[in-house]
Amino acid sequence: MKNNADMRLEQLLAAAREERIDTGSAEEFFETRLLARIGELRETPSWYALVWKMVPMFAVLAAVVAISAVAFNPSRKSDVFAAITGGQEMTLAGNYLTGE
Amino acid sequence: MDFSEQEPTDECLVKAARGGDDGAFARLVGRHKRRVFTLAARFARDADELDDICQDVFIKVYDHLSAFRREAPFEHWLTKIAVRVCHDALRSRRHEKHHTSLDGMAVELPDCAVDSQSEVRQARQFLKYAMSRLSPDEQLIITLLELEEFSVREASAATGWSEANVKVRAHRARQALKRVVEEQDEK
Repeated sequence: MKNNADMRLEQLLAAAREERIDTGSAEEFFETRLLARIGELRETPSWYALVWKMVPMFAVLAAVVAISAVAFNPSRKSDVFAAITGGQEMTLAGNYLTGE
Repeated sequence: MDFSEQEPTDECLVKAARGGDDGAFARLVGRHKRRVFTLAARFARDADELDDICQDVFIKVYDHLSAFRREAPFEHWLTKIAVRVCHDALRSRRHEKHHTSLDGMAVELPDCAVDSQSEVRQARQFLKYAMSRLSPDEQLIITLLELEEFSVREASAATGWSEANVKVRAHRARQALKRVVEEQDEK
């Protein structure tokens, strides 16, 4: 039984091995089709590629925002409300946490 | 680039294609497409899928031309890419692999073959069915070693699996294929 299956398998594989697949018709004008597709891909970059290309721009934007936030943020001391409540923040937080 | 005087090497064509010469790339494709089509035809189910696989192979080649190193021949590098694309094609159809029915195939396989031609055709048909019952890895390794007659080393280079791994997978794949043949014989 085992030998039978082995022989049968060998025959099947030999038959498939001998098969000369004719791809001639499929190969016709392949280069033309391929270059047309490559051209299309070049013209319409994928979203994935586009997002990757925009990463440096977003990084620069984030850096500019961070720097400007630090450089141009008005001092809390010049804010009247902040000056009044500044000292009370810790007391309020302590009261809130202890439930008083 | 002018190639009129003598036949340029693959490396020259790759260099020109890298520089944006589509003509050089087309020439490279023309030179190697037969190899890719023959290999892909072992995996494709129809002409459309064959064309898709071959296009995917050469698009990958085009996109990664800069990664080509001259240490190995271009054909080896191309074969490696082709094998990976074929493997991907097999994996992408994993969910539909049980759609072909054994009953349908049994009807197409009468006991008495009319002539040797039809017998061979039926054998190929049955092998296709049997292969469709294997996992993508098993299909790949059987096709490379048994049908395309790659050596273990070549299969290892093409798949990226170690030689020991190729041997183990090939043995398991053959056993699985044999089980399908035995199942069919029992019916």
